[in-house]
Amino acid sequence: MRLTFINGSPRGIKSNTKRLLDHFIKGFLETEGNTCEIEYLTKNRRSLPVLAEKFSAAQNVIIGFPLYVDAMPGSVKEFFEILEPYMGKANNTAIGFVIQCGFPETSHTRYVEKYCEKFSRRLGCHYLGSILKGGCEGLDIQPSFLTDKYYSNFYLLGVEFGKTGKFDGTLLGKLARPEYLSAENMAKVIPFINQGLWDAQMEKNDAIDRSFNKPLMP
Amino acid sequence: MKYLLINGNPYNDRKDMDYYIDRLSEAIKSAGHEAQTIVLRGMKIKPCNGCFNCWVKNPGNCVIQDDGNEVSRKYIASDHVILASPLIMGFLSSLLKNTMDRNIPLVHPHLEDVDGEVHHKKRYDKYPVISFLLKKESFTDAEDIAIATGIFQREAINVRSSLGFVHFIETPVKEILNAINIH
Repeated sequence: MRLTFINGSPRGIKSNTKRLLDHFIKGFLETEGNTCEIEYLTKNRRSLPVLAEKFSAAQNVIIGFPLYVDAMPGSVKEFFEILEPYMGKANNTAIGFVIQCGFPETSHTRYVEKYCEKFSRRLGCHYLGSILKGGCEGLDIQPSFLTDKYYSNFYLLGVEFGKTGKFDGTLLGKLARPEYLSAENMAKVIPFINQGLWDAQMEKNDAIDRSFNKPLMP
Repeated sequence: MKYLLINGNPYNDRKDMDYYIDRLSEAIKSAGHEAQTIVLRGMKIKPCNGCFNCWVKNPGNCVIQDDGNEVSRKYIASDHVILASPLIMGFLSSLLKNTMDRNIPLVHPHLEDVDGEVHHKKRYDKYPVISFLLKKESFTDAEDIAIATGIFQREAINVRSSLGFVHFIETPVKEILNAINIH
């Protein structure tokens, strides 16, 4: 099987999206004969039509992106717009998505997931599904007891996809949890993220005192 | 009331949306309000690159030196922002979406519980109501509108605002004025 990965993260090779995709790819390549090509939107921004050509010739495509203001980043939307001439003409290319967000709950990604499904149908593609994962900001500084779980599920999804050409529903379900946080979990998770992730970076930058600045105040 | 109309129509050769925005702006002024229009086409607004310096290094300011900061400044100074764009492949133009992505310095990185879901804390005391003015594609159907509206409702919560109206340019300007008066 031949797979084209499009990493739509504005952070490119330093992205949380890449960290997740790498594990999927590792699993995918375990099936003998499978090959994989990775494209970064950040590197292709000035030559999107070339990438669109590649897309139209591809057999299987997975597009990964972080949630930006409840949808795809504007730069990913630029790529979607370039595909307009291919609408209805895709030769049953299989297409799937990886949508990750910093928020701990998957509920944030549900509408853009619906959008991606509709977009796939509009192109004439076979929609594989979307891999949804919350809690992905700062994967490099999160404790490994958390990230190991995500990574192993991405790896297993890749293994299964490499064999069957499908996203395994059970694994998708595991990654998509929690859909919402219980009040109890929220009380734990919020200070963990606010202090562990954000305050720690502000302190390092000597910016904690300016944290609530309002520089654009009218 | 201060209204800001953000024109995210990327097409130089299809200006029906621009004409509509002009008429709407005039009608808002005639009703005794202030109205200002920003045309994004031709402005320099780079996509957000996710550096988060606006949260952790220089709180509240984007490090990218282009027209994006000015749009954010006008946005936060408004009572009601009308975001206008044709639907392109079922969603807002990338021109408008890139601009909206650049507004994250307006909120704070800290999270809090907002009606049972985690969202960002406010940086400012007051945020404008946001509304959407759209143009249909030849193939736009009810499902597309429901998906886009679902995303807009979420966006309004996330930028600590509330959703005003979602209308298309076939709606008479008068009807939009009525919708505005409710908010």
